[in-house]
Amino acid sequence: MPTPPTPPFPFPKEYSFPPFFTPQINLATRHAQLTKWSSLILSYCRHHAIYRLSLSDTTTSPSSPAYPLFNNDSINRRLSLSYIKEIIDFMRRDGRAEWVSGSGSGEQQQGDLVWVYWRTPEEWAGLVEKWVEETGNKGQVMTVYELVEGEGSRGSEFWGLDQELMVKAVQVLVKKGKAQTMGGEENLGVKFF
Amino acid sequence: MGGNSSKITAQDQAIYDLKLQRDRLHQYQRRITHLTSRETAIARTLLSQNDKPRALLALRRKKYQESLLAKTDQQLEQLEKLVSSVEFALIQKDVVFGLQQGTKVLKEIHAEMGGIDKVEKLMGETAEEIEYQKEVSEMLGGRISVQDEEEVEEELMRLEAEMAPTGQKVVEEGVGRLPDVPDTELPEVNGERQEVKKPVAGERREAIPA
Repeated sequence: MPTPPTPPFPFPKEYSFPPFFTPQINLATRHAQLTKWSSLILSYCRHHAIYRLSLSDTTTSPSSPAYPLFNNDSINRRLSLSYIKEIIDFMRRDGRAEWVSGSGSGEQQQGDLVWVYWRTPEEWAGLVEKWVEETGNKGQVMTVYELVEGEGSRGSEFWGLDQELMVKAVQVLVKKGKAQTMGGEENLGVKFF
Repeated sequence: MGGNSSKITAQDQAIYDLKLQRDRLHQYQRRITHLTSRETAIARTLLSQNDKPRALLALRRKKYQESLLAKTDQQLEQLEKLVSSVEFALIQKDVVFGLQQGTKVLKEIHAEMGGIDKVEKLMGETAEEIEYQKEVSEMLGGRISVQDEEEVEEELMRLEAEMAPTGQKVVEEGVGRLPDVPDTELPEVNGERQEVKKPVAGERREAIPA
Protein backbone atom coordinates (compact mmCIF):
# COMPACT_ATOMS: atom_id res chain seq x y z
CA MET A 1 0.00 0.00 0.00
CA PRO A 2 1.26 3.50 -0.73
CA THR A 3 2.39 4.89 2.58
CA PRO A 4 4.25 8.15 2.95
CA PRO A 5 7.75 7.76 4.34
CA THR A 6 7.42 7.46 8.08
CA PRO A 7 9.92 8.98 10.45
CA PRO A 8 12.20 6.44 12.14
CA PHE A 9 10.71 4.64 15.07
CA PRO A 10 12.11 5.80 18.42
CA PHE A 11 13.18 2.55 20.03
CA PRO A 12 13.05 2.33 23.83
CA LYS A 13 16.33 2.10 25.68
CA GLU A 14 15.85 -1.61 26.43
CA TYR A 15 16.30 -2.18 22.73
CA SER A 16 19.99 -1.31 23.03
CA PHE A 17 20.37 -3.52 26.08
CA PRO A 18 21.78 -6.90 24.99
CA PRO A 19 20.07 -9.08 27.67
CA PHE A 20 16.74 -7.83 26.39
CA PHE A 21 17.23 -10.19 23.45
CA THR A 22 17.87 -13.24 25.61
CA PRO A 23 14.99 -15.05 27.29
CA GLN A 24 15.29 -14.39 31.01
CA ILE A 25 15.23 -17.33 33.40
CA ASN A 26 13.76 -15.59 36.42
CA LEU A 27 9.99 -15.76 36.12
CA ALA A 28 9.28 -12.21 37.24
CA THR A 29 11.99 -10.82 34.99
CA ARG A 30 10.73 -12.98 32.17
CA HIS A 31 7.24 -11.60 32.60
CA ALA A 32 8.51 -8.03 32.63
CA GLN A 33 10.56 -8.78 29.53
CA LEU A 34 7.54 -10.26 27.75
CA THR A 35 5.47 -7.21 28.66
CA LYS A 36 8.19 -4.89 27.36
CA TRP A 37 8.51 -6.82 24.12
CA SER A 38 4.78 -6.90 23.67
CA SER A 39 4.46 -3.15 23.99
CA LEU A 40 7.50 -2.63 21.77
CA ILE A 41 6.01 -4.79 19.02
CA LEU A 42 2.67 -3.05 19.29
CA SER A 43 4.08 0.46 19.15
CA TYR A 44 6.49 -0.44 16.37
CA CYS A 45 3.71 -1.91 14.26
CA ARG A 46 1.47 1.04 15.02
CA HIS A 47 4.21 3.41 13.98
CA HIS A 48 4.79 1.67 10.67
CA ALA A 49 1.14 0.69 10.15
CA ILE A 50 1.98 -3.00 10.08
CA TYR A 51 -1.03 -5.22 10.55
CA ARG A 52 0.54 -8.62 10.25
CA LEU A 53 4.01 -9.97 10.64
CA SER A 54 5.59 -12.81 8.82
CA LEU A 55 7.93 -14.25 11.41
CA SER A 56 10.36 -15.90 9.04
CA ASP A 57 10.45 -12.81 6.87
CA THR A 58 11.02 -10.36 9.68
CA THR A 59 13.74 -12.43 11.27
CA THR A 60 15.71 -13.18 8.14
CA SER A 61 15.07 -10.61 5.45
CA PRO A 62 16.70 -7.24 6.16
CA SER A 63 14.44 -5.62 3.58
CA SER A 64 11.36 -6.48 5.57
CA PRO A 65 9.84 -3.38 7.16
CA ALA A 66 9.73 -5.09 10.53
CA TYR A 67 13.27 -6.45 10.32
CA PRO A 68 14.73 -3.97 12.86
CA LEU A 69 12.12 -5.03 15.37
CA PHE A 70 13.73 -8.36 16.23
CA ASN A 71 17.22 -7.62 14.97
CA ASN A 72 19.35 -4.97 16.54
CA ASP A 73 22.39 -5.03 14.30
CA SER A 74 24.05 -2.17 16.14
CA ILE A 75 24.55 -4.35 19.23
CA ASN A 76 24.61 -7.54 17.17
CA ARG A 77 21.64 -9.12 18.91
CA ARG A 78 18.62 -10.88 17.51
CA LEU A 79 15.59 -12.53 18.95
CA SER A 80 15.27 -16.27 18.40
CA LEU A 81 12.23 -17.52 16.54
CA SER A 82 11.10 -19.65 19.46
CA TYR A 83 11.22 -16.71 21.79
CA ILE A 84 9.30 -14.59 19.31
CA LYS A 85 6.65 -17.29 19.28
CA GLU A 86 6.54 -17.20 23.05
CA ILE A 87 6.05 -13.44 22.93
CA ILE A 88 3.31 -13.83 20.35
CA ASP A 89 1.60 -16.36 22.60
CA PHE A 90 1.93 -13.95 25.47
CA MET A 91 0.31 -11.24 23.35
CA ARG A 92 -2.38 -13.63 22.22
CA ARG A 93 -3.50 -14.03 25.82
CA ASP A 94 -4.05 -10.27 25.90
CA GLY A 95 -5.97 -10.40 22.66
CA ARG A 96 -3.26 -8.33 21.00
CA ALA A 97 -2.11 -10.93 18.51
CA GLU A 98 -3.52 -13.83 16.59
CA TRP A 99 -2.18 -16.39 14.21
CA VAL A 100 -3.41 -15.71 10.73
CA SER A 101 -5.77 -18.56 9.99
CA GLY A 102 -4.84 -20.69 7.06
CA SER A 103 -1.16 -20.41 7.83
CA GLY A 104 -1.51 -23.23 10.34
CA SER A 105 -3.83 -23.28 13.31
CA GLY A 106 -3.74 -25.04 16.63
CA GLU A 107 -1.25 -24.86 19.41
CA GLN A 108 1.43 -27.13 18.00
CA GLN A 109 1.40 -26.20 14.36
CA GLN A 110 1.82 -22.49 14.64
CA GLY A 111 2.04 -20.60 11.45
CA ASP A 112 4.37 -17.97 10.26
CA LEU A 113 1.94 -15.12 9.79
CA VAL A 114 0.60 -13.35 12.80
CA TRP A 115 -1.88 -10.52 13.24
CA VAL A 116 -0.57 -7.76 15.43
CA TYR A 117 -3.54 -6.08 17.00
CA TRP A 118 -2.34 -2.68 18.05
CA ARG A 119 -5.99 -2.17 17.44
CA THR A 120 -8.17 -5.22 17.87
CA PRO A 121 -10.88 -5.94 15.31
CA GLU A 122 -13.35 -4.69 17.90
CA GLU A 123 -11.50 -1.40 18.14
CA TRP A 124 -11.35 -1.08 14.36
CA ALA A 125 -15.04 -1.88 14.23
CA GLY A 126 -15.68 0.93 16.68
CA LEU A 127 -13.75 3.35 14.49
CA VAL A 128 -15.61 2.26 11.39
CA GLU A 129 -18.92 2.56 13.17
CA LYS A 130 -18.09 6.07 14.31
CA TRP A 131 -16.97 7.01 10.82
CA VAL A 132 -20.16 5.63 9.28
CA GLU A 133 -22.16 7.62 11.76
CA GLU A 134 -20.23 10.83 11.16
CA THR A 135 -20.24 10.66 7.38
CA GLY A 136 -23.88 9.77 7.05
CA ASN A 137 -23.17 6.42 5.49
CA LYS A 138 -25.80 4.69 7.55
CA GLY A 139 -28.02 2.55 5.39
CA GLN A 140 -25.50 2.72 2.59
CA VAL A 141 -23.93 -0.14 0.77
CA MET A 142 -20.17 -0.07 0.59
CA THR A 143 -17.51 -2.48 -0.42
CA VAL A 144 -14.70 -3.36 1.92
CA TYR A 145 -12.29 -2.26 -0.79
CA GLU A 146 -14.01 1.11 -0.82
CA LEU A 147 -13.68 1.41 2.94
CA VAL A 148 -10.00 0.63 2.91
CA GLU A 149 -8.85 2.16 -0.36
CA GLY A 150 -11.66 4.43 -1.51
CA GLU A 151 -11.61 8.17 -1.81
CA GLY A 152 -14.51 8.56 0.59
CA SER A 153 -12.66 7.23 3.57
CA ARG A 154 -9.27 8.74 2.75
CA GLY A 155 -7.92 10.41 5.84
CA SER A 156 -9.85 8.21 8.22
CA GLU A 157 -7.79 6.14 10.58
CA PHE A 158 -8.62 2.87 8.92
CA TRP A 159 -7.66 4.02 5.46
CA GLY A 160 -5.08 1.62 4.10
CA LEU A 161 -6.02 -1.00 6.63
CA ASP A 162 -5.33 -4.60 5.74
CA GLN A 163 -8.44 -5.78 3.90
CA GLU A 164 -8.63 -9.03 5.76
CA LEU A 165 -8.47 -7.20 9.03
CA MET A 166 -11.21 -4.88 7.83
CA VAL A 167 -13.32 -7.92 7.02
CA LYS A 168 -12.79 -9.05 10.61
CA ALA A 169 -13.86 -5.65 11.89
CA VAL A 170 -16.93 -5.70 9.65
CA GLN A 171 -17.81 -9.12 10.98
CA VAL A 172 -17.67 -7.71 14.49
CA LEU A 173 -20.18 -5.08 13.37
CA VAL A 174 -22.34 -7.80 11.82
CA LYS A 175 -22.38 -9.63 15.15
CA LYS A 176 -23.49 -6.44 16.85
CA GLY A 177 -26.26 -6.07 14.31
CA LYS A 178 -24.77 -2.86 12.98
CA ALA A 179 -24.00 -4.13 9.53
CA GLN A 180 -24.79 -6.83 7.07
CA THR A 181 -22.53 -8.33 4.49
CA MET A 182 -23.10 -9.52 0.97
CA GLY A 183 -21.01 -11.09 -1.67
CA GLY A 184 -18.07 -13.34 -1.24
CA GLU A 185 -15.10 -13.19 1.05
CA GLU A 186 -12.92 -11.71 -1.67
CA ASN A 187 -14.92 -8.59 -2.40
CA LEU A 188 -17.19 -8.27 0.52
CA GLY A 189 -19.95 -5.70 0.44
CA VAL A 190 -21.37 -4.29 3.60
CA LYS A 191 -24.47 -2.37 4.49
CA PHE A 192 -24.43 -0.34 7.67
CA PHE A 193 -27.36 0.20 9.97
CA MET B 1 -21.81 -14.66 5.59
CA GLY B 2 -25.37 -13.53 6.07
CA GLY B 3 -25.52 -12.73 2.38
CA ASN B 4 -29.22 -12.99 1.74
CA SER B 5 -31.13 -11.68 4.69
CA SER B 6 -34.26 -9.61 4.52
CA LYS B 7 -32.51 -6.35 5.38
CA ILE B 8 -30.61 -6.28 2.11
CA THR B 9 -32.88 -5.31 -0.72
CA ALA B 10 -32.49 -5.83 -4.44
CA GLN B 11 -31.43 -2.21 -4.79
CA ASP B 12 -28.71 -2.72 -2.23
CA GLN B 13 -27.52 -5.68 -4.21
CA ALA B 14 -27.52 -3.60 -7.37
CA ILE B 15 -25.54 -0.80 -5.76
CA TYR B 16 -23.15 -3.35 -4.39
CA ASP B 17 -22.63 -4.81 -7.86
CA LEU B 18 -22.02 -1.37 -9.30
CA LYS B 19 -19.56 -0.54 -6.58
CA LEU B 20 -17.83 -3.82 -7.14
CA GLN B 21 -17.36 -2.91 -10.78
CA ARG B 22 -16.02 0.44 -9.76
CA ASP B 23 -13.59 -1.17 -7.35
CA ARG B 24 -12.39 -3.46 -10.11
CA LEU B 25 -11.81 -0.55 -12.43
CA HIS B 26 -10.01 1.22 -9.65
CA GLN B 27 -7.74 -1.72 -9.13
CA TYR B 28 -7.19 -2.03 -12.85
CA GLN B 29 -6.15 1.59 -12.99
CA ARG B 30 -3.67 1.04 -10.26
CA ARG B 31 -2.19 -1.86 -12.13
CA ILE B 32 -1.93 0.18 -15.31
CA THR B 33 -0.38 3.11 -13.49
CA HIS B 34 2.18 0.79 -12.07
CA LEU B 35 2.85 -0.70 -15.51
CA THR B 36 3.33 2.66 -17.19
CA SER B 37 5.83 3.79 -14.64
CA ARG B 38 7.68 0.49 -15.08
CA GLU B 39 7.56 0.85 -18.85
CA THR B 40 9.33 4.20 -18.58
CA ALA B 41 12.03 2.65 -16.46
CA ILE B 42 12.44 -0.16 -18.97
CA ALA B 43 12.74 2.31 -21.85
CA ARG B 44 15.38 4.21 -19.92
CA THR B 45 17.52 1.14 -19.26
CA LEU B 46 17.13 -0.01 -22.88
CA LEU B 47 18.24 3.39 -24.12
CA SER B 48 21.28 3.26 -21.92
CA GLN B 49 22.03 -0.10 -23.55
CA ASN B 50 21.60 1.55 -26.96
CA ASP B 51 18.66 -0.64 -27.85
CA LYS B 52 16.54 2.02 -29.48
CA PRO B 53 13.85 -0.09 -31.22
CA ARG B 54 12.93 -1.91 -28.03
CA ALA B 55 12.95 1.29 -26.05
CA LEU B 56 10.52 2.68 -28.59
CA LEU B 57 8.38 -0.40 -28.20
CA ALA B 58 8.31 0.07 -24.46
CA LEU B 59 7.31 3.70 -24.88
CA ARG B 60 4.59 2.69 -27.31
CA ARG B 61 3.28 0.20 -24.83
CA LYS B 62 3.29 2.92 -22.26
CA LYS B 63 1.35 5.23 -24.57
CA TYR B 64 -1.22 2.53 -25.21
CA GLN B 65 -1.61 1.87 -21.51
CA GLU B 66 -2.05 5.54 -20.90
CA SER B 67 -4.89 5.63 -23.39
CA LEU B 68 -6.41 2.68 -21.58
CA LEU B 69 -6.10 4.61 -18.38
CA ALA B 70 -7.98 7.55 -19.89
CA LYS B 71 -10.71 5.21 -21.09
CA THR B 72 -11.07 3.58 -17.72
CA ASP B 73 -11.25 7.02 -16.19
CA GLN B 74 -14.30 7.74 -18.30
CA GLN B 75 -15.86 4.43 -17.46
CA LEU B 76 -15.17 5.02 -13.81
CA GLU B 77 -16.90 8.33 -14.04
CA GLN B 78 -19.91 6.71 -15.68
CA LEU B 79 -20.09 4.13 -12.96
CA GLU B 80 -19.77 6.66 -10.18
CA LYS B 81 -22.50 8.75 -11.76
CA LEU B 82 -24.72 5.73 -12.01
CA VAL B 83 -24.08 4.79 -8.40
CA SER B 84 -24.92 8.24 -7.16
CA SER B 85 -28.02 8.50 -9.31
CA VAL B 86 -29.21 5.15 -8.03
CA GLU B 87 -28.58 6.29 -4.51
CA PHE B 88 -30.37 9.54 -5.14
CA ALA B 89 -33.31 7.74 -6.75
CA LEU B 90 -33.55 5.60 -3.63
CA ILE B 91 -33.71 8.71 -1.49
CA GLN B 92 -36.36 10.17 -3.77
CA LYS B 93 -38.32 6.97 -3.40
CA ASP B 94 -38.10 7.35 0.36
CA VAL B 95 -39.30 10.93 0.14
CA VAL B 96 -42.28 9.95 -2.00
CA PHE B 97 -43.05 7.14 0.36
CA GLY B 98 -42.91 9.55 3.27
CA LEU B 99 -45.25 11.95 1.52
CA GLN B 100 -47.62 9.11 0.78
CA GLN B 101 -47.66 8.04 4.40
CA GLY B 102 -48.26 11.59 5.52
CA THR B 103 -51.16 12.08 3.14
CA LYS B 104 -52.66 8.81 4.20
CA VAL B 105 -52.53 9.75 7.84
CA LEU B 106 -54.00 13.15 7.10
CA LYS B 107 -56.83 11.53 5.16
CA GLU B 108 -57.53 9.16 7.98
CA ILE B 109 -57.68 11.98 10.46
CA HIS B 110 -60.04 13.90 8.21
CA ALA B 111 -62.21 10.85 7.80
CA GLU B 112 -62.38 10.57 11.57
CA MET B 113 -63.52 14.18 11.73
CA GLY B 114 -66.34 13.26 9.32
CA GLY B 115 -66.29 15.94 6.68
CA ILE B 116 -66.97 19.66 6.55
CA ASP B 117 -70.72 19.42 7.11
CA LYS B 118 -70.22 17.60 10.33
CA VAL B 119 -67.66 20.12 11.50
CA GLU B 120 -70.02 22.95 10.62
CA LYS B 121 -72.84 21.33 12.47
CA LEU B 122 -70.55 20.75 15.40
CA MET B 123 -69.46 24.36 15.42
CA GLY B 124 -73.11 25.46 15.32
CA GLU B 125 -73.89 23.20 18.21
CA THR B 126 -70.96 24.51 20.12
CA ALA B 127 -72.09 28.08 19.59
CA GLU B 128 -75.55 27.15 20.75
CA GLU B 129 -74.22 25.49 23.83
CA ILE B 130 -72.07 28.48 24.60
CA GLU B 131 -75.06 30.72 24.22
CA TYR B 132 -77.07 28.51 26.51
CA GLN B 133 -74.29 28.50 29.04
CA LYS B 134 -74.22 32.29 28.94
CA GLU B 135 -77.94 32.46 29.60
CA VAL B 136 -77.65 30.16 32.52
CA SER B 137 -74.79 32.21 33.87
CA GLU B 138 -76.76 35.39 33.56
CA MET B 139 -79.71 33.88 35.36
CA LEU B 140 -77.53 32.74 38.16
CA GLY B 141 -75.37 35.83 37.86
CA GLY B 142 -77.53 38.20 39.95
CA ARG B 143 -77.45 36.11 43.05
CA ILE B 144 -73.85 35.23 42.74
CA SER B 145 -72.77 38.80 42.17
CA VAL B 146 -74.60 40.08 45.22
CA GLN B 147 -72.94 37.41 47.26
CA ASP B 148 -69.62 38.34 45.70
CA GLU B 149 -70.21 42.00 46.37
CA GLU B 150 -70.81 41.30 50.01
CA GLU B 151 -67.68 39.29 50.23
CA VAL B 152 -65.66 41.95 48.51
CA GLU B 153 -66.93 44.61 50.81
CA GLU B 154 -66.24 42.49 53.81
CA GLU B 155 -62.70 41.99 52.62
CA LEU B 156 -62.25 45.67 52.05
CA MET B 157 -63.34 46.39 55.58
CA ARG B 158 -61.04 43.82 56.93
CA LEU B 159 -58.17 45.31 55.00
CA GLU B 160 -59.06 48.79 56.25
CA ALA B 161 -59.07 47.48 59.77
CA GLU B 162 -55.65 46.05 59.24
CA MET B 163 -54.30 49.20 57.71
CA ALA B 164 -55.85 51.63 60.23
CA PRO B 165 -53.65 51.11 63.30
CA THR B 166 -50.42 51.52 61.40
CA GLY B 167 -51.73 54.62 59.66
CA GLN B 168 -52.73 56.23 62.95
CA LYS B 169 -49.36 55.45 64.45
CA VAL B 170 -47.64 57.43 61.76
CA VAL B 171 -49.85 60.39 62.39
CA GLU B 172 -49.40 60.13 66.14
CA GLU B 173 -45.67 60.02 65.88
CA GLY B 174 -45.68 63.08 63.70
CA VAL B 175 -47.84 65.00 66.14
CA GLY B 176 -45.84 63.86 69.12
CA ARG B 177 -42.52 64.96 67.75
CA LEU B 178 -43.32 68.22 66.21
CA PRO B 179 -43.95 70.25 69.37
CA ASP B 180 -40.44 69.52 70.57
CA VAL B 181 -38.87 71.85 68.09
CA PRO B 182 -39.46 75.29 69.65
CA ASP B 183 -36.91 76.11 72.35
CA THR B 184 -37.57 77.53 75.75
CA GLU B 185 -35.44 80.56 75.02
CA LEU B 186 -38.26 82.32 73.31
CA PRO B 187 -40.34 83.34 76.34
CA GLU B 188 -37.60 85.72 77.39
CA VAL B 189 -37.85 87.67 74.16
CA ASN B 190 -41.58 87.61 73.57
CA GLY B 191 -43.73 85.82 76.11
CA GLU B 192 -47.18 86.77 74.83
CA ARG B 193 -46.61 85.90 71.27
CA GLN B 194 -45.46 82.47 72.05
CA GLU B 195 -48.53 81.61 73.98
CA VAL B 196 -50.71 82.57 71.06
CA LYS B 197 -48.71 80.82 68.47
CA LYS B 198 -48.15 77.62 70.32
CA PRO B 199 -51.13 75.59 69.03
CA VAL B 200 -50.23 76.53 65.46
CA ALA B 201 -46.62 75.61 65.91
CA GLY B 202 -47.47 71.95 65.37
CA GLU B 203 -48.32 72.67 61.74
CA ARG B 204 -45.89 75.39 60.75
CA ARG B 205 -42.66 75.52 62.61
CA GLU B 206 -40.90 77.89 60.29
CA ALA B 207 -43.41 80.59 60.80
CA ILE B 208 -42.30 81.23 64.37
CA PRO B 209 -39.15 83.25 63.77
CA ALA B 210 -40.86 85.54 61.31
